Amino acid sequence: MNVLGVLQGEFLKLRKRPAVWVCIGILLLLLLAFGYLLSWIVFTYTKPPTGPNGVPPGVTYADLKKGLYPLHFIQNTLNGGTQLGGVLALIIGVLSQGSEYGWGTVKTAFTQRPRRLEWLAGKLVSVALTMLVMTLLLLAMAALTSFVLATIDGGDRTWPAAVVILKGILSAWLIYCFWGFFGFGLATLFRQSAMAIGLGLAYALVIEALIFGLLSQFVGDPVRKVQQWFPLANAQYLIQSFGPPTREVGANPRPPFADATHAVTMLLLYCVAFVILSAVFLQRRDVTS
Amino acid sequence: MPAGELVVETRGLSKRYGNTVLAVDQLDLNVHRGEVYGFLGPNGAGKTTTLRMLLGLIRPTAGSATVAGHAPGDPAGLARIGAIIETPAFYPYLSGWDNLKVVADYAGVPDSRLADALEQVELTPRAKTKFSTYSMGMKQRLGVAAALIKEPELLILDEPTNGLDPQGMIDMRKLIVELGKGDRTVLVSSHLLGEVEQMCTRIGVIQDGKLVAEGTIGELRGAATLTVRAAPVSQAQMVLTRMLGADAVIQRDGAFRLRVDAGRAAEVNRELVTAGVEVSELVSGQRSLEDVFIELTGTEGGL
Ligand SMILES: Nc1ncnc2c1ncn2[C@@H]1O[C@H](COP(=O)(O)OP(=O)(O)O)[C@@H](O)[C@H]1O
Ligand SMILES: [Mg+2]
Repeated sequence: MNVLGVLQGEFLKLRKRPAVWVCIGILLLLLLAFGYLLSWIVFTYTKPPTGPNGVPPGVTYADLKKGLYPLHFIQNTLNGGTQLGGVLALIIGVLSQGSEYGWGTVKTAFTQRPRRLEWLAGKLVSVALTMLVMTLLLLAMAALTSFVLATIDGGDRTWPAAVVILKGILSAWLIYCFWGFFGFGLATLFRQSAMAIGLGLAYALVIEALIFGLLSQFVGDPVRKVQQWFPLANAQYLIQSFGPPTREVGANPRPPFADATHAVTMLLLYCVAFVILSAVFLQRRDVTS
Repeated sequence: MPAGELVVETRGLSKRYGNTVLAVDQLDLNVHRGEVYGFLGPNGAGKTTTLRMLLGLIRPTAGSATVAGHAPGDPAGLARIGAIIETPAFYPYLSGWDNLKVVADYAGVPDSRLADALEQVELTPRAKTKFSTYSMGMKQRLGVAAALIKEPELLILDEPTNGLDPQGMIDMRKLIVELGKGDRTVLVSSHLLGEVEQMCTRIGVIQDGKLVAEGTIGELRGAATLTVRAAPVSQAQMVLTRMLGADAVIQRDGAFRLRVDAGRAAEVNRELVTAGVEVSELVSGQRSLEDVFIELTGTEGGL
């Protein structure tokens, strides 16, 4: 009962908050520009370079272009839209909670009626639904763009199977929810936005991308065995389960270290962990500001 | 002592921050239905900490409280309480109206009450502008409107005149008196004796976390007191202290103020004279509330 009221309030706050729409807008624009238009222009108006950095032998730009058409829109979006998208989801998650501390509105919220955990539930559901909106907008834009490009080229306009589309939506949503809840949990822990965004990005860039990236290149499998328990690696497995990125058509990509089931389980566990962390801190701490 | 149901009742309520600061110490507060209760104390006395505990924002270290019939923070209780703690906090990017709407959604209150609440605090003309553009007085009034949409039986207002200009303070006091009419209970904290005296029917005085007095203004001013001028002062002090106890003897402006019934004037005089002290003045009179406050708290209380 109280949760529904919180949810209603949260929707109003999210809907009217410019920062949320700026984040989603940036994501859409970047995917449109770099995931589609730039590639399309390159593939249409330039010749493939030759030599070691060129496309694999026997592959033409026309082959690569097929990756931009509707059949591959899920894969293309997951590859292009979940890393930067993750960062923007992190920001949305952080702002949802960090701002409440920054503006002192925690005390306003806690003195209305809902219990603290009811308020938390309403907020987390609203963050998850924002992530779903972001996912759907992104995929819709990708679908539309891919359809338009295929039409211009007179190329193949076949859509992926419905089940692939559904899996794609759920995967992108899960990855965004991981990021969103990660940000939300950090903001709850630090009771502010700046620390949460900073540490969230530092974790993603330094721990997972840099350290694991380097180590797994030089040390190999022993590192990957550890890495498989970390969230960003699992997001990557999930994305790879949809097939190799289209720009690697013809190359012989390494299969993902773990399968989609492992990836989904781990990401869900991380989401649950952040929910529990937020709940414990919210419930136990005094509100003194 | 006005009879009546207690809307706020605390027993041994205490809060320790960390290991050192005992912000609230064994507080027994009694607020009756329909009162405008002034919670008076200098800065740092523990007012905000107490009010936060009443709302469930802070967990007490010890003791208990019942507020509007429920434990602090209980949804059923919160539904009947409107509160502003320190400065009112809202979403800066939302209009006053949308902020009220969020609060109404949270509280499960129908939107039909929003317009009335805004009207009551005279904020209707600015309802559609962003909260971040509001003056301090408007923010405070939006806070009151948000507290009112629940049609609360208890209003908890923490220093609601803080940060307002003189006209704003006057308006806010009038509004509080208005809101306290009828059955509604108002618990308002302040460090200003004068404003509490203007607004409130009963007062609780808090000092260093302890409730040092509670009662109506009449009760606090108490029975008549005695003022004595006598020399030598040190010997007079000794005699009076032996006779009445150190607590009842306050030395100010070269005179002694005795917290003792005026009926004992002759007795006091006799004791002093017997001890060889020369009494030059002995008058009975009622203390002003200001004197009471200064005696209780040892501060000028922002007067
Ligand atoms: N979050 C906190 N941590 C530690 N000490 C605090 C905190 N909040 C208040 N205090 C201390 O508790 C005492 C009472 O503060 P407060 O309740 O704000 O008083 P008032 O509202 O009467 O001015 C003060 O000594 C203050 O410094
Ligand atoms: Mg205070």
